[in-house]
Amino acid sequence: MTRVKLLSLLLIIAGALAISACAVVSKQASLPSWHPEQLGEGRPDCTECHEEQIKAVGKPSQTFKHTTEFVRQHRLYASQDEKVCALCHKFSFCNACHANELEIKPSTFLGNRPDRELPHRGDYLTLHMIDGKADPTSCYRCHGRSNNERCVSCHK
Amino acid sequence: MKTLRLPSALALLLIPALVHAADFEGYGTSIFRLEQKAAPGFDKKTIIPFTQFAGADLDQIADGNLSLHLYGWERVDLGDRSTSEKNSDGDLSYGFLAYRFPKANAEVKGGRFFVNQGVASEQLDGVGARTDLAGGFGVSAFGGAPVKLDRGSNTKGDFIAGGRGSYRYGNLLEVGFSGLHETGGIFDPTTGVKRDRELIGGDLWCGPSRFVEVNGHTYYDMSREGVAEHSYQLLLRPFKTIGVSGLYNQADLVHFYAGSNLRSLFNPDQGGMVRSYGGTVTWYAAAPLELNADYRHIHRSDNFETELNGGSDRFGAEARITALDKKLRSGVSYHRVSGATGFNSYHEGRGYVMYDSGRYIGSLDAIGQIYQTRIYNSKNAFELIASTGMRIMPQLTLSGELSYGQNPRLADDLKGLVRLTFNYVAQGKGAKK
Ligand code: HEC
Ligand code: HEC
Ligand code: HEC
Ligand code: HEC
Ligand code: HEC
Repeated sequence: MTRVKLLSLLLIIAGALAISACAVVSKQASLPSWHPEQLGEGRPDCTECHEEQIKAVGKPSQTFKHTTEFVRQHRLYASQDEKVCALCHKFSFCNACHANELEIKPSTFLGNRPDRELPHRGDYLTLHMIDGKADPTSCYRCHGRSNNERCVSCHK
Repeated sequence: MKTLRLPSALALLLIPALVHAADFEGYGTSIFRLEQKAAPGFDKKTIIPFTQFAGADLDQIADGNLSLHLYGWERVDLGDRSTSEKNSDGDLSYGFLAYRFPKANAEVKGGRFFVNQGVASEQLDGVGARTDLAGGFGVSAFGGAPVKLDRGSNTKGDFIAGGRGSYRYGNLLEVGFSGLHETGGIFDPTTGVKRDRELIGGDLWCGPSRFVEVNGHTYYDMSREGVAEHSYQLLLRPFKTIGVSGLYNQADLVHFYAGSNLRSLFNPDQGGMVRSYGGTVTWYAAAPLELNADYRHIHRSDNFETELNGGSDRFGAEARITALDKKLRSGVSYHRVSGATGFNSYHEGRGYVMYDSGRYIGSLDAIGQIYQTRIYNSKNAFELIASTGMRIMPQLTLSGELSYGQNPRLADDLKGLVRLTFNYVAQGKGAKK
């Protein structure tokens, strides 16, 4: 069993190395490791500083403008453009809402940021009975396989 | 792996002293909470949990392309127990080394980290790699051991691997194909049987013109063979000041819940389907003002296609004001959730204002719900939060909240919180942040 695991691990490492050594690798320079321009708090509007396209990813700067709708649907971008998000977000930023194990709800952790789009504001232990019934699929994304140790005390 | 906790993470904070020419950033948040819990019929409890979050990033190690990233938290209870578990707990969220190549966005990493690639949103102890290929192609892969929950070894499988391949056609189109395999990732507590969790998926982004954009994905559950979810978004930008979006989501719960480790809540065997559609309209009315209206219809049916809870609608509007160079941010919103049965229906209103002068920060936040049907003999709930803060030094901010509320569970809900955040940056020769 463990041998299989080790083998597959080695295979992946070998595969990764092969890929990076391979001639088909793009010749383009990598993105900087961090966004060159310091941005403050508050939602960034990429179009303020960037031309129509963000060249490195071939998508319009409009696409990543942090509108309310971008923030609400960010999962669709995060699963495609991880490297773009990583330009400005350490994963600890995402960890306020996404974790395998956490005990403070995002709106308490960031109680000083009412302007943020944080889930579970107010008395959520009551409200969740309604929201969870109406549409449990969003809950599953965060609590279905991870961060559900607290739920077990009532949902046995 | 759980034993590799914050103390060891903190010990690693000492490394920068040993490494020359490295950029170091250390940051953290300390949170003291004081809450009284007096649910009817239970003893009054006073909980005083202290939680320390800490993170560190070391960049430009060795040849300048190697970096180290750490983040985690540790909690101790100074009063009554704050969770149903131990009176202290902690978690290493991530700790990994990454090597970035100067070309092709190539990167190799190892340790504990999160991945978000197509079907995979996972935390694992293992390795990952990615690179762009010539001609618009890109690949990424990861493999290792999924990080289990404290609750037990059956919460996740023993081995996980996956990856995503993508192709981009100019500035018009990106398609991705991703897969994931988790050995023993599905545990059925009723039979005690373990199966492999396997998912594949396709994702799409398409921007045929400046005014139109479509993105989304379809995920397929290989373990039971069926589509787990469709999730698509259409964005229209007819004018610079107006944005319109349409959304469609569909989840077949037999497949969507296939990997559940909390079957009392998310039970794949019960089946059922959730379909929702809706959209939003955003109007940037004037530089400081953004208006947003949203609507969503949710149709939840059981195995026999009968609607549960009668289906529900969620709709409302929000106004956000950002002024004085983002120093002043405020908003008001109203939402209505309406289930056909009256249960599961409520009105929600919220308003907040915050001001950040650079040295002082303060905010007021109010939220309330009116339920259509009484819950535990009560028809409404509200919470008021006042927050103040001060940047003592550029690297150090002290802030605190006082919140008061009334709700169906608690006649008086008074909570206090004190938060200290620090952020320390030391740059070696390669200044870049
Ligand atoms: C305050 C101005 C400003 C804002 C806002 C801003 N950027 Fe940048 N960005 C810059 C500057 C300056 C550079 C470095 C010059 C360059 O390479 O274009 C840069 C570089 C980049 C790069 C690497 C170079 C490239 O063009 O590929 C990416 C990618 C990028 N920004 C993405 C974004 C995204 C996405 C957003 C919105 C979420 C954003 N930026 C918002 C100023 C800004
Ligand atoms: C150019 C920098 C930049 C890039 C690139 C970027 N973001 Fe952001 N993002 C920010 C800033 C700045 C904020 C505001 C943080 C704050 O207010 O404290 C933010 C906020 C957010 C928020 C929280 C919004 C809220 O109201 O709570 C989410 C979620 C988010 N970003 C997701 C993403 C995702 C996903 C990506 C990649 C597709 C991404 N971001 C790319 C700079 C960026
Ligand atoms: C303010 C809280 C918040 C922050 C911060 C945040 N997210 Fe999310 N994220 C959410 C919510 C809420 C959802 C569920 C949305 C839904 O159901 O449509 C979600 C969903 C996701 C999903 C889909 C998960 C799945 O299993 O389908 C991914 C991937 C994701 N977020 C990535 C990120 C990344 C990457 C960051 C950091 C750049 C981030 N998120 C930051 C709140 C947040
Ligand atoms: C972006 C990820 C995310 C999503 C999506 C999400 N939650 Fe949570 N939830 C969290 C986090 C983080 C916490 C704090 C951890 C904790 O208290 O255990 C939390 C806490 C909770 C709590 C405890 C609240 C309290 O006051 O102590 C409940 C109940 C809950 N979630 C229910 C839900 C329901 C129901 C949904 C779907 C409608 C949902 N969650 C969707 C991340 C999420
Ligand atoms: C204090 C006890 C308590 C805790 C803790 C709790 N719940 Fe609940 N939850 C309930 C009750 C009570 C209901 C209503 C059950 C009913 O009406 O059938 C409920 C209902 C739900 C529903 C709707 C179920 C359905 O399909 O009808 C979801 C989803 C849900 N909870 C998710 C969560 C999640 C996720 C967590 C942990 C983050 C959590 N709950 C924590 C008590 C709790």
